Formats: sequence, structure tokens, C-alpha cells
Amino acid sequence: MAAADTNGEVVPTTDAEVEKAGQAPLGTGAHEHAGSTSEPLLQLRGLKKHFPLTQGILFKKTIGHVRAVDGVDLTLGRGETLGLVGESGCGKSTVSKLLVALEKPTDGQILYKGRDVTKMTGRQLKQYRREVQIIFQDPYASLNPRMTVGDIVAEGWAVHADIAPRKGRLKRTQELLDRVGLNPDYVNRYPHQFSGGQRQRIGIARALALQPEVIVCDEPVSALDVSVQAQVVNLLEDLQDDFGLAYLFIAHDLSVVRHISDRVAVMYLGSIVEEGTDLDVYGRPSHPYTQALLSSVPLHEPHLRGQKERILLQGDVPSPANPPSGCRFRTRCWKAQDICATEPPPLIDRGQGHPSACHFAEAREVVPVEQ
Amino acid sequence: MTHPSSTAAAVRGPGDPTAVLEVDDLHVRFRTDSGLVRAVNGLSYTVGAGETLAILGESGSGKSVSAQAIMGILDMPPAEITTGRIWFEGRNLLDLPAEEQRKVRGPGISMIFQDALSSLNPVYSVGYQIGEMFRAHRGTSKKEARTLAVELMERVRIPAAAERVNDYPHQFSGGMRQRVMIAMAIALDPKILIADEPTTALDVTVQAQVMDLLKDLQRETGMGLVLITHDLGVVNEVADKVAVMYAGKAVETGTIDDVFSRPAHPYTEGLMSSVPQVEAKGGRLRPIVGQPPNLARIPDGCSFHPRCSHRRLGTAARPGAECSIDVPPLRPVLPGREAACHYSEEVLGGRG
Repeated sequence: MAAADTNGEVVPTTDAEVEKAGQAPLGTGAHEHAGSTSEPLLQLRGLKKHFPLTQGILFKKTIGHVRAVDGVDLTLGRGETLGLVGESGCGKSTVSKLLVALEKPTDGQILYKGRDVTKMTGRQLKQYRREVQIIFQDPYASLNPRMTVGDIVAEGWAVHADIAPRKGRLKRTQELLDRVGLNPDYVNRYPHQFSGGQRQRIGIARALALQPEVIVCDEPVSALDVSVQAQVVNLLEDLQDDFGLAYLFIAHDLSVVRHISDRVAVMYLGSIVEEGTDLDVYGRPSHPYTQALLSSVPLHEPHLRGQKERILLQGDVPSPANPPSGCRFRTRCWKAQDICATEPPPLIDRGQGHPSACHFAEAREVVPVEQ
Repeated sequence: MTHPSSTAAAVRGPGDPTAVLEVDDLHVRFRTDSGLVRAVNGLSYTVGAGETLAILGESGSGKSVSAQAIMGILDMPPAEITTGRIWFEGRNLLDLPAEEQRKVRGPGISMIFQDALSSLNPVYSVGYQIGEMFRAHRGTSKKEARTLAVELMERVRIPAAAERVNDYPHQFSGGMRQRVMIAMAIALDPKILIADEPTTALDVTVQAQVMDLLKDLQRETGMGLVLITHDLGVVNEVADKVAVMYAGKAVETGTIDDVFSRPAHPYTEGLMSSVPQVEAKGGRLRPIVGQPPNLARIPDGCSFHPRCSHRRLGTAARPGAECSIDVPPLRPVLPGREAACHYSEEVLGGRG
């Protein structure tokens, strides 16, 4: 932890990070990403997704658009974990659907290994879909109740037959189950026979079966109990070390995102407002929204209670069908001035050390640093 | 935040004079097709005026069922309260006939739920639903009830209350709906408010607003608050004392400061080390192994022993303290602290 400059006692954290970096499969990934010249694995450029709002039953008329994702730029390197946080309705799940090509973007590019996914067809798209897998939030809804666990995990091989020869599939399935911490003898059981945490493991095994390079994790632990949540987080970290996976980790839980991510992007109403390493975003947040978000998170240590600054936001998130002009956050921002209503602030570094989409970005410590 | 000296977890003995609500040895079970589900197995706690008790536990720990038993909203059957007493204002609610219970609970104890949208009636305006409290319990006229509803909506800080009183639940955002439910709950100035995961479905910024509102209302009215949650952060920020529940029992009680800085039960310790914190990236998480137990098949002995890192089995155990055979009672381990573990002293020492 870089906070060590003010506080020498955070050594254990540093050790853990060093250890993790050492295990990272590719030296070019994760930690030196910002300074690395290697090509990023996945790049989103000005990504937009607008859903039409229609009126009428027979003669549908478009009366507007919900700007769910409105100009998102993100980069994901090999073996790296990028955290994407934001409140409900900010568009983070739409980003995940765009990434796995379940939705077509309205505008913008998704570059995977330098090629535009939105223009891919046929064999290329098939290959992309194999390499970029997804884990869903709800382990109850994302597994087919009429299929056995073995069939669920092996289903992808029906399309991508080259990965696992037909003969050894049962054995491969059992290996995968074992790898995610499930008893390999359970291949013939059905999803309802498993608990929430175990089902999430099945979902992870299904994603792993296709040997992906990227896994989009859309709120993978939000539905789980606290004690089980930690098991799944640890499993995801181990798998990343073993297979060199890159994660886009989408969640609303700021603590979990900080724990697992190398870099974190904060999203508000369809666009990224701040991006940086976990220390940048959590230790020196510079966008007012990030600051408010962090100040709302309850802390776990009794001695830190009451030490953190409270920034209470007024009102609710505006509708993405009719977002405010200029800066999206200005209607709830205490720093807002005339310029905020006219000019959308670009996501750039204004001297605070990492990009922030605020005309008046200023780094400020909101969460007390752990002693 | 107040920490009156009475918050020391004196959780036993019927008739604690400072307590407004006292739950004593409550047992609730459900008869189901898959067997007898023991949801609550001897839960006891007290809540004083102006005090906040957090009931912390994972899903299936019996925390919501115990609250529903207090409110008398359990479906019986399949549920049955086998033993236990719920003391409120000197009377055991479970001894009273149903109609009498209703009259005591109505104005005295109220409850808010996790999912505000399904807790509100979609076909009545929020003003009508808030006003219903006054009409039903005080015989207020419709017109007056509406005026009182507007006042309450202002008290829970719903903007433009007078214009929104005729709106329907679906026209409100999640945070505002939760406020409507809080307005209904505090309408008759209850002595006790039970909040069952009030902010779990809300975003963090809205969660902070709602928790602030609850604390402010508590300061104004002096009501006791029972906060049921699985979120350690929320517990730390708003509660005075905590009862940690596992498999239908309180496994540890005490003030927040004591329990969170030095847990005495391995389950509490495990919970604390399995949750990442926002104030530091932290090292690898140390989760509790295994799954929470199925309440139809609670393990013998200590219900936590299959997942416990401190357990002692066979000859390693002290006589009478074999974790898979002997049920550990909830016993005092330090002044003001109780824990249900044979080896609490070890757990306390291990972290100190």
C-alpha cells in the first residue's frame, strides 16, 4: 500500500500485494499496467447504449431514449482486475451486456486485441464469445433448473467442440468442479440441490470451461451471505493467478471492489466519473460523487466510527432518459457552478494524479486510513 | 451516539426494569414437508428506551423470524411458538388473546421491512396508507388523517409532501418508499421500532440518508430500535449493542465496541475477518469454511462446530465441553459480555 509513506504499519498489506503481483501470470499485466506499453486486451471507446422509449401499441412511436451507457472509455489489461462501481441504474450492467455481445452498442467501439467487436461476425464473433465469459449476479436465475450440473458446465463445448474432445468431457467437467471447490461426484445433481455459494461456483466453472481470457463478473457476490462471499472472492483471486484471467468486476459494494481490483472506475448515470488505482480512488478521491459515495459507506471498526466526514447527497439520481446538461452530477453537487451546466467535464487528470470528470476536481481524504 | 451504562448486555431475567421490550427464551419452529425446521432456538434480549440493539446474522439465522414472532405476523401454522415470553410494558404478549395483542402492538411496537415496494399496497395512495394508522387506532376522520399523513411525510423528509400525498407507491424511488414505510411505522409514536434489513435493498448513499433519518427520529422520540441486519458496517455505525445470531440462537452479545474489537465467539471472529473493508485493501480474506446449517438439520452440540476453527473434539476437549456433543450455553465471558462457546477465553486471547 502506498499509504505506507505516512504510516509504516501497513506492512502486511504490502506483503500481500507483492505476493499477488509476483504470482501474476504475465509481468505486463495488472500492476504496471498504467506505464506499460503492451497492448491492452480490451478497450472501450466512447461506448454508448441508448434504449428507445416507445409509446402506443399498434403504431409504436419513439418518444425518447434512455441513455443507459453514454460515452464510456475503459481499458482492461491481461491478468488485470478492473473494478466498476456505481449505484443501481448507473448503467454498469448494460456495460457488461455490451461486453459479452448480448447487446449491440448504439455508438462507440469495443476493441478486443485491437479488433472491433461491434463489427465482428461469424467465426470471429464466436471466438470472441468464447474468450470473454460472464458470471451473473443471481445464482438462482442463471442456471437452468432442468439441466444437471455436468450438462450446465459442459454446454459450451457443444458449440466450441475443439476445446474438449467428446471422449474426455466427463473427466474435464469433474476437474472443473473440483477446481472451483465442488465435489466432482455432484455432476449429476441439479442446481436446486446446491446452496447460493455453491451455485455461484457452478457458474464460475461454466465460465472457465471455455478457457476464457476475460471474465465479466456482474455482481458475482452480491446475493451471497457474508461468510460465503469471502470464499467466492478468494476463489476468483486464485483462478486469476492460475489461469491469468482478466476480470471486469462490477459491483455496488465498494469494499469488495477495493479488495479485489487493481484499478477502479466509478460510474454515474451512464459515464465514468473517476478512474484510478484503488489507492487513487479510495485514498484520494477527487470527484464529488466518489467522495459522497465513499463517505456513505459504513465502517467496520469501532474506533473509526464518527471519524469520517459525512457528505450527504440531496435528492435522487436523475432519470437517464432526461439527464442534466453538462455535468451529469451537477444537480446533486455542492461544487456546481455555471460552467457545469454548459460543459460536460472530460475524464482527465487535472493535477490530482488520476483522471476525474469534474471541472473542480480536488483530491481529498474521505475514508480514514486504517491504523 | 449514546452508550448508556445500561446497555451492558444484561440479557437474562424476566422483568428487567430498564427494558421496554424483553424477549425471553423464544423458540419458533415450522412444520414443513421436509421436517421440523427449528428457526429460533432460545433467543433472549432486551431493548431499553432510546437504545439500539442490532441483531446480526446471515440468512437463515432466524433473525427475521424472531422479529415476526414479536410482531405476531408469523403464519401459524406452519409456524408455532413452542416456548418463550415477549414482555412489553410489563405484559407477556404471548399470554394475551389475539385481539388484545393487536391493541398493544398496534401503537406500541411497529416494524419496517426490507422491500418497501411489496410492503406497501399498490392500489392505495401513500397518504391513505399512512393515514390508515390514525383511522384504525384513533378513529380520526379521513380528512384529518390526510393532514396528519402530510405532517408525517414532512417528518421523514419527503420533499413536497403536500403534493405527493396522493401519489401511489410506484411513483416513488426506493429510498422515498422506505421513508413512506417509516412514516407509517412512527405514526402512532411506538415505543419500539423493529427494522428488518431496512437498507439492504438501497444504494449506499440512500442507505446513509435512511439510517440518519432513523437515528434522528429515535433521538426525537426516544423509541427503542431493533435493527436486524447482516451488514457489519451498519451495525457498527448505528447500534449500541449487538446480538450475533447463528442457527436460531444468540451466540454472542455485548456492546458494539466490545464485540467488534474483541470477538468472543469464533463465528463473530470469522465474520469480521471475512468481510473486506473500504478503509484498506487488506490481505487475503479469511472466510468461514462451509455453509450455514440447514435449520431442519442443525448439527448436534455447538451448531457452529462443523465450521469452527477453535473446535475441540474427542480427547482434545475439556470434559463436558466436547464441541460436537455438548451444547455451549450463552454465558458471561467478560463484564457485560456473553458468548455461547466452550472456548471463548481462547478466542478472546487469540486476537488480543
